[in-house]
Amino acid sequence: MNEKSNVQEASKFLLSMELNGNSINVEVDPSRRLIDIIRTDMDLTGTKVSCEVGRCGACMVLINGKQHNSCLTMAYQCEGKKVTTIEGISEEKIDPIQQAFLEEGGFQCGYCTPGMVVSLKALLEENPNSSFEELKEGVSGNLCRCTGYGGIYRVLRRLTT
Amino acid sequence: MWLDRNSSKENWKVRPDGKEKVTGQLRYLTDLAFPDMLFGRVLRSGIPHARIKSVDVSGALQFPGVLAVLTHHDIPGLNGFGISNPDQPVFTEEWVRYEGDAIAAVAAISKEVAEKALELIQVDYEELPIVDTPEKALEPEAPSLHVDGNILHQTIFKKGSIDKGFAEASLIIEETYTTPRQMHTYLETEGGVFVPNEDGRLTVYAPTQHGYKDRMQLARILGQPEETIRIISSPIGGSFGGKDELNVQPYGALLALQCGRPVKMHFSRWESVTAGLKRHPMKIKMKTGVDQRGKILAHKVEILSDTGAYSTLGGPVLNFATEHSVGPYLIPHVDINGKAVYTNNGVSGEFRGFGGNQVIFALEGQLDRIAEKLKVDPWELRKINLRRKNDLGPLGQRIVPTEGPNQVFETIKQSSLWKERGKKQTEHPWIKKGIGLALAMHGSGLGYGIPDHAGGTIRLNKYGEIEVAFGHEEFGQGLLATLEILLLDHFQCNKEDINIIIGDTDLVPKSGSSTASRTTNMVWQALNRLKEPFLTLLFAKVSALTGYEKDALKTGREGIWTQSTEKVNERLVMTYAELAQMGETFECSTEFHYPVTPDPIMGGHYLYTSTAVIAEVEVNQLTGTVVVKQMDHTIAAGPVVNPMGYLGQIEGGSIMALGFTLTEDAVMSAGKYVTKNLDTYLIPTIFDVPEQNGVMAIEELPTDDQFGPRGVGEIGSVALAPAIVAAIKEATGIWVTELPIKPERLMKPFMNEVVLG
Repeated sequence: MNEKSNVQEASKFLLSMELNGNSINVEVDPSRRLIDIIRTDMDLTGTKVSCEVGRCGACMVLINGKQHNSCLTMAYQCEGKKVTTIEGISEEKIDPIQQAFLEEGGFQCGYCTPGMVVSLKALLEENPNSSFEELKEGVSGNLCRCTGYGGIYRVLRRLTT
Repeated sequence: MWLDRNSSKENWKVRPDGKEKVTGQLRYLTDLAFPDMLFGRVLRSGIPHARIKSVDVSGALQFPGVLAVLTHHDIPGLNGFGISNPDQPVFTEEWVRYEGDAIAAVAAISKEVAEKALELIQVDYEELPIVDTPEKALEPEAPSLHVDGNILHQTIFKKGSIDKGFAEASLIIEETYTTPRQMHTYLETEGGVFVPNEDGRLTVYAPTQHGYKDRMQLARILGQPEETIRIISSPIGGSFGGKDELNVQPYGALLALQCGRPVKMHFSRWESVTAGLKRHPMKIKMKTGVDQRGKILAHKVEILSDTGAYSTLGGPVLNFATEHSVGPYLIPHVDINGKAVYTNNGVSGEFRGFGGNQVIFALEGQLDRIAEKLKVDPWELRKINLRRKNDLGPLGQRIVPTEGPNQVFETIKQSSLWKERGKKQTEHPWIKKGIGLALAMHGSGLGYGIPDHAGGTIRLNKYGEIEVAFGHEEFGQGLLATLEILLLDHFQCNKEDINIIIGDTDLVPKSGSSTASRTTNMVWQALNRLKEPFLTLLFAKVSALTGYEKDALKTGREGIWTQSTEKVNERLVMTYAELAQMGETFECSTEFHYPVTPDPIMGGHYLYTSTAVIAEVEVNQLTGTVVVKQMDHTIAAGPVVNPMGYLGQIEGGSIMALGFTLTEDAVMSAGKYVTKNLDTYLIPTIFDVPEQNGVMAIEELPTDDQFGPRGVGEIGSVALAPAIVAAIKEATGIWVTELPIKPERLMKPFMNEVVLG
């Protein structure tokens, strides 16, 4: 096998999934990462890329409503699934979670914010009465370097009172 | 005033860049894509010290999908960069000095092809002995890493007679402190897109803290005039000093010009760790002598700073550390020696706090140790030694008079933790509680002898908006929000009546760097200078057109209004849009210099801010883990312009300091990074951070102070470490000298204890 075939003739399969409410069918390598499909192939750049080992949560998306690091998810795992990115969360009007981030100073550079919002969305969709401690645990996989979590704590208080 | 939403009232505002950030709509520069875009990658040595025998790029060049492979042969201009000293090669020619040294760069049709092409570049190295500590670098037989040897920079400061001071001292405390190689860990790694334009110019979309500086450095590398390069540099997904230096720019620019197509570069986290800057690890020896009351008589300091393979700002960081190792204390006999030393380790450079964090940890540690020996309250010991309003600065330079250290000293007592000092009751016998305090004064601006220019422009744009342009950057700190608040206050207009331009060298004037806690102060000063001439031009025109007296006019919502003592009688004379249609812009610009001490002491600062921190910890003696339960800060930095931004800077800076103290260290072994990603390099998560993190802003300045609000980008990050260390001492009796604190150090051996079964 020459080097060309190694890179360019990788196996393909037809991925069918729902992305932000739209059915999509794309031919991709089954091991292509969801983050690359979203950011590069679909040009939806609200989902961020940072550590690529599932530690920072910047690439968090919802898969069938649950939070997932899209850097650790491969194309074949999304077959038939419903994927929601940050762009799918506030299509019509801004979500109360996002409003809380705006008003409580829950972000600075904003690079971790889509992932934070997605994580909280997963928890509050599953249980609108989630407690402060549950939400705190829910964003423990989302790293923020700017705020020192002061603004994030204010967001969590606001969402639980 | 404890800062929060309620105390901030109407100035607690949603940021103008907020909505697009929380919805993910904001395109960061690393999110951009252009038609025909290629992907660039850099081949790094992966070896800390070697001589390159040969480089063969032919395999990579022939690989399908590869459009360019560049090495040092392909640089039209200077093969070097570095803000203060351009000794870091874009591509190494012969010598590899650290594992992040760039050998070649590739542009290809996809990331995957570029990655593969890197593997096809053959490099033959002769490996050399690795100089992995500053101590080794200073040994006489150590290999010389640069032509002038292994010492980048030395500082010497002497005051009084150190021997006399120690001879008179009744107690001398001597200790050595070490600090970690902290990583900035901006969530957005270095990257950008480089676009050759049809007119022959190059547009660079890449984060930096100083667009014009990048333009100058890039022009030097590309061997073309600065005007042929446009730097678009905001928005930025975090920087903290780390993106002030060039990173991807030389490679992206060279590849784009070579290929005549847009090239995107975006470091993986691992490449960011390898090639990115870190905080200078320092070993600081302090010997401090006091009299029986605790008055410091003599203070001897030796600083050894690991600057890594190249200079960048290693010299200025050492100058800053030297100045701040005296702190806000009056000491008659001082002797400081600092060395910044080259090694084969990762490159150290600019990082929030700029060398202050390290020496403040040591200095405050000295005061706490002295207090323990003298059996006096450590806070009262500080009082005995604290500077007063008109005292000279740490290096004997005149500084702007400041009550800051005394203000923070007193106001920190308003923290609820103050009354809890000495109370040690906890739920479990193996959990020990303690409370510690620390105090610091921190310089802002670049310091004496360094060009520190500022400036801005104001105009009425063709859309009828009052438009300002500044060469500053938005990396999250809230510059746009601060400018919006200042503009609305000056002109009493609507948000829709203003427009703010930053981060684009084609559109902004030179304003200097967005570093050193200088930006808030510089834009405040600039707007004060611009307002009057702008309004004079504006009102003269409106007066000529309408017949109203100039003095009877004011700016307001949507346009120019008549002034009246009664609001109901005020009326809109002319809208901004109508005025703009006349075709005039009323443009005014200002240029000035950051305020600087009149005394010629290199690097010496003139404006200072102050902070006091109190922190409560719980130490689990079974596991050695430290939990910070609560902390409070008081900050003396003049008026608060943007309360949400101010609070956020102190909260964020302090948690960065919490990481510096407890978990963060980019560990190197034999010149190679061991902590390659965020699974082993541990920044605080929400679980590591107390919810109670109070910030009190002291806004009062001396009555004759004309300098206004100081920046607070760094002050929140400089004094927490010694407060935590003092709290741990109170909890456990153990003095810590090495950061980050290893749990092993705090685990209580129980092998000899009776275990009840």
